[in-house]
Parts: sequence; structure tokens; C-alpha cells
Amino acid sequence: MVKQETMLDLEFRSWLLEQPEGETLLRCYQCGRCTSACPVAEIEPSFNPRLFLQKILIGDKSIAENQLVWNCLTCEQCEVRCPEHVKIPHILILAKVRGLMAGNVPLAALDRARTIISEGRSLSVSSPMLKTRTKMGLPDLGTPSMDQIVAMLADIGIVGKLENVKSVYGDAEDE
Amino acid sequence: MSKPRTYTYFPGCMIPYRLPHFELTAREVLKKFNVELETHSEHSCCPEPTTFTGVDFEAWVTIAARNVAVSESTGNETVALCSGCFHTLAVANHMVQEDEELKKRINKRLKKSGLEITGKHTIKNILHVLHKDIGLDVIKKQVTNPLTSLKIAPHYGCHLVRPLEATHMDHAENPQWMDDVIRTTGAEIAEIEDKMACCGAPIMPSGEDKALTITASRLDQIKASGADAIVVVCPTCYTQLETQQAKVADKFETEYNIPVLYLGELLAFSMGMTDIVTANQRRFHRVKLGALLEKIGGTP
Repeated sequence: MVKQETMLDLEFRSWLLEQPEGETLLRCYQCGRCTSACPVAEIEPSFNPRLFLQKILIGDKSIAENQLVWNCLTCEQCEVRCPEHVKIPHILILAKVRGLMAGNVPLAALDRARTIISEGRSLSVSSPMLKTRTKMGLPDLGTPSMDQIVAMLADIGIVGKLENVKSVYGDAEDE
Repeated sequence: MSKPRTYTYFPGCMIPYRLPHFELTAREVLKKFNVELETHSEHSCCPEPTTFTGVDFEAWVTIAARNVAVSESTGNETVALCSGCFHTLAVANHMVQEDEELKKRINKRLKKSGLEITGKHTIKNILHVLHKDIGLDVIKKQVTNPLTSLKIAPHYGCHLVRPLEATHMDHAENPQWMDDVIRTTGAEIAEIEDKMACCGAPIMPSGEDKALTITASRLDQIKASGADAIVVVCPTCYTQLETQQAKVADKFETEYNIPVLYLGELLAFSMGMTDIVTANQRRFHRVKLGALLEKIGGTP
């Protein structure tokens, strides 16, 4: 039974079911094999994929704002073991997406996303990095057209979201 | 020599800029088989599949599809050396194949840059190229310095292999392709418990303690197998098992000292190209390779 800390919101569930591969959620009959296969659940009992799916199934959106969801390794051990091939890591990804504007995003993830959207790489390419490539005889890779990439994302609104979102994660992220 | 077989090489970020010895050894080994890697300047970050997905999935799948579309425009098959990049491109490509609405929505966005994703493009990783396209018998013929004294632990990592419907790898729980390629060098395969265990890296930004606990467990399993070295394909696994190894040992008050090699480095050893590894070992290997090199008769 889920009693405490439920945030019932059928709009959240409906949105999730409309996303690509989101509807695989409905195949879950709560057998719990996902949790028994999960390496994080093994060391952190509050990380319980079966329970996360249960909550989402009944329209509880609290998982979107729960920092635990970011402890998913995306290793897909759960999905491999699931008898119904529920796309479990993907469903947790969708929950993370819904928690973004509430600040449920680790600082490092946010910084990385901002670098990708502004520079086209997940890291800032420095001149020592370029020199090392030259020294090793590796070719110059050039740079993608960022204006084109940003224009292509206009209807998604990610640029504005990344400007406004504030991470609720402090320095002691593991606590 | 006949015309080289050319792939469009998707570079991503980690390999070209943080761990370029992956790219160097892959290129040099592939040259032995008359395989060339060509780049395209319009390729951006894939984007990486462990955190960007959870920031904005729609943006992730759109940028990934753009990268696939750039590849498609080259007319060659794509190879991504990084497992994260490979996973992203393969999964996005698969989703577009399966979901007409998604494909329409993305192609509308891509049209602004004159690009299109058809869903028919082939995305490969280094094991597809070595095991399937080149073939074990052909690889064996280039092995001039058999590594029969070595016992190697193959660490596949998660994103290289799963999900099978997108990666087109051989098995989700017990893959063999890297084992097979390693055996061509003459090395023995170390039997590791929990073959497909995760390195722990993806949750470093959200839970470092948990991540390092998982890394320690992985290193413990490998140490117990008696392996001389770990061989990886994925740069993120490399960072976790190699770059972070001393930190993990300190944290759990233990010792590992297990060298980690990129698959291309192991192949380079076996093909008499030890110098391309040793020339860069101080910069990229924190765990010293000395004992390993002595064992295979190279200069430490």
C-alpha cells in the first residue's frame, strides 16, 4: 500500500503513456524481478524500481521530484530480467524529465546539459586537448553548427528551461 | 592494396578529447585491416545517455537523430567507438524505426538543416566491425606477438550491449564477442563473476558513495578472477575502473593495481605496435603498465 507522500496526478501518467515507449508501463504486473536484478537496490533498499512503477501506475507523480530516481544507473539489468519487457530505465528517465523544473536534477547533469546546448560537446574543448590530438597525429574534428542545432530545438523549449531551472541538489549530493 | 573500407566515425566527446589513446589505437589497428575512419564536422555530442536523457528526453532523441542523419548523408555505415555514443545513436535510430509519429516530428525539425533520418542507417560499435565485418580469422593473421602469458578480464559495460533490439549485439547477459576478439591475441579469458555488472559511473553526479561502492564490487570480482588486466571498450567504464581505481582502493582500504586497457591497446600489443601504447601511457594510465609489459616482453 502506498499511503504517505503520494501526489496523485493523472495528467502525469497520461503524459508518460503518450511518450515513445512510455506505454510499456501498462504491462507491469508488479512481480518485483526488476528490484531483485537492480545493483542499486542491493546497496540502497529505498531504491525500489517495483515500487516506483507501482506509484506511477496509480498516478502518483512524487517519484518525479524524488532525488532517488537519479540513482538509476541505466544499466538495464531490470529490463533484461523483466518478463514483460517494460522499459523501466526509460520510464524513470521520463519521471526525471517531469521533475526538471522542480529542480530535481543533479548540478553536474545540469552543467553538462548546458555545455552540450551551447558548445555542442559534453565538455569544453580546451587548447591543450587540441594540441594533444595534433601531437598524436589525430585529425581535427571541426565544430558543429550550433545555431542550426539550437534552432532545431526551438519547439522543445530546452534553451529557456536550462536558463531558468535551479537544481535543488546541494554540495552533499549523496545525503 | 585494394580500396580501403571506410566507416563514418562518430567521435563524441570523451574519446577524442579526454582519452584520445582509444582513437589512436583503434585507428592504427583498423589500418592493418585496410579500414579507414572518416569524420564529419557536423557531428555533435551524441548526447550522452546517462544524464541528458533525464534533463530533456525529447531534446536528447532529436539531437541524437540529427547525428544519425548527418551520418546518413555520408553514405557510409557509422561506427561509434564510445559505448555511450553507440547506445545513444542506436537507440534513437531504433525508436525512429519503431515510431512513425516520432520520426515525422523529428524530420520536421531536421528539415531546417536539410537533413533527414530514415531509420535505415546502420550504427556499429567496434565489436561489430572487428568480429563481424573483419572477422576473427583475419584478425588472427595480424597477431605477430601472441599474448599467451596474459589472463584478461573482459568488462563489456552496459550501454555497449543493451538493449539488444537496438544494439544488435549477441547476448544481453552473456555476450561473447569481446571474449572472442581477445582470444585471437592468444590471451586467456578470466572467468569473472557477474559478467555484465555495471562499473557504477552513471550515478557519480547523483550519488558518488553508491557509485564507488558498485565500482569496488566490480573491481573485487575482477581481482578474484586473477586477471592480469581488464579490457574495456567504453571510455566511461575506463574512467571509473582505471582513473578512479586508486580512489576506490583508498576509500575501501584495499589494493587493486589492476591495469585497464582499451581493446585497441591490447590488439596493438599483439600486432607488434606496443610503442603506440607506451608512448602515451604516462598521460592516460594511472595504474602502471610495467609488470604487464614485462610479461609480454615489451619495454616498461
